[in-house]
Amino acid sequence: MFPERESDRPLAAWAGRDRIEGQVMSALTIILKTGGCAHDRCRMCSYRHERYNRLTHGELEAGLRAQLAWIENNFTLEDFDAVKIYTSGSLFDPLEVPVQARDALAKMMRGKIVIAETRPEYVTVDHLNQFVTLIDNGTHETPLFVAIGVETSNDTIREKCIDKGFSWDDFVKATEIARSAGAGVKAYLLAKPLFLTEREAIDDMISSIRDLSGTADMISLNPCTVQRNTELEYYWKQGAYRPPYLWSILTILSESPVHLTCDPLGGGQERGPHNCGVCDGPLVKGIRDYSLSADRELLSALLAIPCACKEEWDFVLREERSYCMPLTR
Amino acid sequence: MTIVEVRKRDGLARIATFQADEKTIHLPAVIETGELFHSLSHSRMENVPLGAGPAFVAQYLPKGHLIPAWIHPSGDLTLPPGMAVMVPCWHTALAHPRKYVEWLAAMKTALPPDTAWYAPAAALPSNAAILSYSGFDIFDFTAVDLRSSQGIFCLPEGEFPRGTMEGGACDCPGCRVGDLKAHNRDRLIREIALARQFIAAQRLRDLVESRCRMDAAQVAILRNLDRTCGFFEKAVPVARQGTLLATTGEVLQRPEVTRFSERVVSRYRPPAADVAVLLPCSARKPYSLSQSHRKFRQAIAGRASELIVTSPLGLVPRELELVYPAAHYNVPVTGYWDAEEREFTGGIIAAFLEKHRFKRVIAHLEGGALAAAEKGAALAGVELEITCRGRPLSQESLALLDSALSGERKVRHDVIRGTSSWQFGLAIDTRNLVVKGRYPWIRAFRGRTPFFSIDEATGLLRPTFEGWNLIPEGYRVTIDEFVPTGDVLAPGVVDADPRIREGDEVLVTGPCAIATGRAAMPACEMLRSGRGVAVRVRKVKTLPRT
Repeated sequence: MFPERESDRPLAAWAGRDRIEGQVMSALTIILKTGGCAHDRCRMCSYRHERYNRLTHGELEAGLRAQLAWIENNFTLEDFDAVKIYTSGSLFDPLEVPVQARDALAKMMRGKIVIAETRPEYVTVDHLNQFVTLIDNGTHETPLFVAIGVETSNDTIREKCIDKGFSWDDFVKATEIARSAGAGVKAYLLAKPLFLTEREAIDDMISSIRDLSGTADMISLNPCTVQRNTELEYYWKQGAYRPPYLWSILTILSESPVHLTCDPLGGGQERGPHNCGVCDGPLVKGIRDYSLSADRELLSALLAIPCACKEEWDFVLREERSYCMPLTR
Repeated sequence: MTIVEVRKRDGLARIATFQADEKTIHLPAVIETGELFHSLSHSRMENVPLGAGPAFVAQYLPKGHLIPAWIHPSGDLTLPPGMAVMVPCWHTALAHPRKYVEWLAAMKTALPPDTAWYAPAAALPSNAAILSYSGFDIFDFTAVDLRSSQGIFCLPEGEFPRGTMEGGACDCPGCRVGDLKAHNRDRLIREIALARQFIAAQRLRDLVESRCRMDAAQVAILRNLDRTCGFFEKAVPVARQGTLLATTGEVLQRPEVTRFSERVVSRYRPPAADVAVLLPCSARKPYSLSQSHRKFRQAIAGRASELIVTSPLGLVPRELELVYPAAHYNVPVTGYWDAEEREFTGGIIAAFLEKHRFKRVIAHLEGGALAAAEKGAALAGVELEITCRGRPLSQESLALLDSALSGERKVRHDVIRGTSSWQFGLAIDTRNLVVKGRYPWIRAFRGRTPFFSIDEATGLLRPTFEGWNLIPEGYRVTIDEFVPTGDVLAPGVVDADPRIREGDEVLVTGPCAIATGRAAMPACEMLRSGRGVAVRVRKVKTLPRT
């Protein structure tokens, strides 16, 4: 399990640069500790274990306000054009994040672009309107983006491989609600969840990206990583799962007609997207660079890097099947 | 409709044929997956890992009469005989020896024995033997082709960098032209062919014990199989052709070895005797035909029950010296006994001496055998008299042995009675039987009627119908209402004593006929197989209609 952290701090917060709607801007990323994800079942997710346990509504609100205070004390908020808020669940679930705390957060971020993570079932016109009203000072055309981990456009995969608990239709409805409330949509895709071959995983991403065109304003591609205390980790330890090859991630990025942001967490490590260990370093760096620069030529150059493991990856794409996978570790 | 015909068994390994449509495949075999199993060409998003739980398996494992049928350790395992089954992702089990055996046992005990088993993407030259030993019959080229794509050179001894190819370790057509893929495929085909030869000779264990040395996980699989109570032992015949090589540490756990010693303690009934003499083993088998044992027997002159202390069998009573594997094992003789051998042998001696209380126990032993005997005697609370001074065969030692036995009563070593107790769990009354023939080619008669003969290849008793009359129960195979013409086939078997193993002498009984013969498969297979010879019949007797 994760070490217990002090409750008056966010789980993490850092400053960085992000590509948002085609613009590179300074962004603050915050991961808040909340009441926790109400769904709490996804096979690959360990964030769901990070939560306040058995707190009253009031205590939860106090804890969140303390975290906000900590952020104000540790960052100069004027420095950031945008803020990305993750809760390991849904910012718009009032049981997970009390409305008063959410309002306080919104007021703090007034004038910035806010990207806020949520499951689709908490996307309601009332909640979004309230939030947008509090952050919007006219600086940005679309001040709020709801970020939804739709993971894939394939309902079968989302159910079998992730156990996400909502459908493509649920997602589409949520995006329509978001738009009617004046918010944009960012979609997260999960590259290679459990139970997919390397080829199936690539195909799933390509078709998901196609299905998302016109629905999402931004798409972030998350290569699957093996987090601790997850069902995915159980299978990975039994040799039944391999994270995607970096070659596959590059292929998806390069075949996508639109730019995808992608931060290959754990890239080059056995628990994260990796190749053979020789070529991983430059590829991981290259993917991060591309994520920011959207430089297509960089992608082509990365894909053209020669490495002995390419032949293996090629073989895996051709020969790996549901009944004999993963072929490699 | 598919048919699986098992022609030869060696433990879980088989030589068999698989018929699908007009195609007949001789197993074990390497196949091109798509050519034999068309259904798999269309497989999409059907993955169910071996570690998945029952609910997930029930929901997502492809069902129906597919060729091959998909099976899973936590899935529904009720299938008709004659099918080809596939264990998806079995290649991932190889790195998890405990799970490997647990999963294998769950599936093997549930499915009909006449099923052909496909292990996809698993076979390499280095693991084909143990896969076959585990009861897999159908393999593909996926794993070797993958190694080729990785620049890995495959040998039965393991996987090596491509450069090894230039070192001259192999001279196959592929190696001659630098074609790694051709070499790797060729090696796999050859290893399967070799495994087939060893299965035919019922010596696959020897190949596996030798191959597994280069891979800790394989050794672990071998050991776990031996120790998985009851599961693997059932598949091991009561006797094999040829020598049992006792050249590894694993041999102490080998089912033939543990079965022998377990029966010596639990089933064997020694002759009435006041004195037991513990003797060293001899290289020549049976022991009593060796020079050394001639001398020991001269000194003992029938005045004690003779027990031979040996590794890896522990203790071999004189009457059982012909029984497999007592007359069939080959052990490297250095005179040195390691701690495990002493412990194992000491334990058997202790159990035997606790069960059979002799007035005196003489140890005519030296070195490690003596140490093991002392350990066993101490555990049993028995005092040993030691008659060795220097070598057991020295004049002084033999004289001491002789004088230690002076005045003791004669003991009648009865091979028929002793063997029957070990073989059938029942010491038959041999008082009216006369033994004829030159040892070990002996037969027992009453008058001119033969009752038993000893099978010189296995040392087991072959009872005639009259002989079976002296064995009132056990080792019966019950058949349906028919008179066997030739061998008894598995579908005709109604019931069988669960103790029956392949190679056991059995009495076939049914409402219409009785027959003597030898089991060609263990009882559990007779009851679950859809095809195949269950009993090789020697003689049939039609019963009068009632």
